[in-house]
Amino acid sequence: MSFTVRFDANNQEIMLAGAMRPHNGDELIEVRRTLDHALNSVSGTLYLNAKRLVHLNNAGFHEIVMFIRRACQQKPTLRIVIITSSYVGWQERKFALLRELSPYVVIEQYDKDFYPGQSVLEDSGFIPILRTQTKLTWRHERSILPRHGLQPGMKIADICCGIGDFAVLLYKEFQPARLLAIDHAPQSLAYARQVAADFGVEAIEYVQGDAANLLIDDNLFDFVTCRHSLQIFDRPELILKELYRICKPGGRVYITNEKNSHCLGEPRAESIQWTYNEVAQIFAHFKMDVELGPKSHRYLIDAGFSNVQVESFMVTNLDGDPQDFADVIAAWESVYAGQMAAQRGDSEEFITRFRQGFQDHIFAALHPKGYAGWPIWVASARKPG
Amino acid sequence: MPASFESTAQDRVFDIVIGADLFAADWSNCDRISNYVANLVSQRRTDSLRYANLFSSVLNELLETAFRCHHAQGEIACTVYRSTLHDCIDLSVPCDAAIREFYESAVTKASQPDAADRFIRMMLDERPFDPQIGLMALAADYQAKITLDASVGNRVTISVGFVIDEPAQ
Repeated sequence: MSFTVRFDANNQEIMLAGAMRPHNGDELIEVRRTLDHALNSVSGTLYLNAKRLVHLNNAGFHEIVMFIRRACQQKPTLRIVIITSSYVGWQERKFALLRELSPYVVIEQYDKDFYPGQSVLEDSGFIPILRTQTKLTWRHERSILPRHGLQPGMKIADICCGIGDFAVLLYKEFQPARLLAIDHAPQSLAYARQVAADFGVEAIEYVQGDAANLLIDDNLFDFVTCRHSLQIFDRPELILKELYRICKPGGRVYITNEKNSHCLGEPRAESIQWTYNEVAQIFAHFKMDVELGPKSHRYLIDAGFSNVQVESFMVTNLDGDPQDFADVIAAWESVYAGQMAAQRGDSEEFITRFRQGFQDHIFAALHPKGYAGWPIWVASARKPG
Repeated sequence: MPASFESTAQDRVFDIVIGADLFAADWSNCDRISNYVANLVSQRRTDSLRYANLFSSVLNELLETAFRCHHAQGEIACTVYRSTLHDCIDLSVPCDAAIREFYESAVTKASQPDAADRFIRMMLDERPFDPQIGLMALAADYQAKITLDASVGNRVTISVGFVIDEPAQ
């Protein structure tokens, strides 16, 4: 793997990426030129973004140290913010040394505020409901996945695996040759590992990682899944680029996303409809697009994939135990109305009406003649080659 | 650094032997071998990607040191050991008297309490690299315990014991 160094003048940001392991400084003349050009053109704060820097040897580190020293000499009050990633284990130790060069050198770990709704959606209280959601969707996806190319014996990566329950189901149903499940949240992974251990499933590799900066070689997996996640990242195209990169040529990437405003129910359809329209709005306020489902086709084409297949399915109260469906809606109400609306600063009047739609959805789900639905869009596409 | 590096039972998990001339023919061999070995030994670790990334960093420091300082004749041998508490890499390189002296000096310095300070001073030096910097980096960044076996006439073996913290299982 080689490395790149780019300077974004607009953001006053130098971005280092790849494996920077040169033999000596002579191989870094172009890098030095880029760094010095950056130094000459910035004021105030310079960002040195190393979150995509997978490896760095001493020759490379020496170049960075010398650059920062030049920067401190030439612009003594320039603030230099070094952005690291906790997923790249050596970075914290290595870059901590740079603090000694100047009080204006700041090390910031990138993994906080990873996506806009992180604090809400990763509340550990949400875990049981995530399990129920997977139970409800698996009834459909179990038969959908083979239509999108999944076969036993494949090498699979499940990106943004969350609490890892989908990976366990994949493992049991499709006996993959390899199953790597990645999430950025250590608490979710700890839960996933515990569940896998309890179920005697040892073959799933649960690893921590950033979906937009995966520490995985190119072209490794036959089938790459990423479920309900593009919709909660503010830049889904960055994740899709990584899904494309790690997928083998000829392999497929499989994504699922929602269109929340299309959640429905009878009776009390109008109230339900109003609330889910507002759900879409509230997520948009926090820079998440829970209407992404039908846009999957465009996203996959724009990411360079071919042979795009799109379909949708409706999780309903009639799929199994209606109480499961009702439990999911109750959890949504708690998070969306209880936390997100409050964070947005919504009025009591709004929140009361907002809650009512969820309650009506639950009513529809549990009504003996009722019908309640949660639509999900599945899309998959082939990596050319 | 754990006090029990020596006392813990270790499993030998990997050996690689490469001709010194072949190894020294291309600098990128350090990166390639580091990543290859790291990917192999990271199997069944709690977080295999993180572990492989860190292991590769440690091994690469050692291999780059050996690349810069070894006798041209002979073989370079790398053995990876694992115990429940730590990992250990033995790197054996062909040497002459000058190379032996280089490693004796480097290991002595890397074993001192001021190894991290020494690493920073070396890093801030604008002159060409002192090849000993790799072992100082291991001491500074990984609190590695580094020892040397120079008991065989034309070889030295550098042993690096280190701990890679892993998430709870």
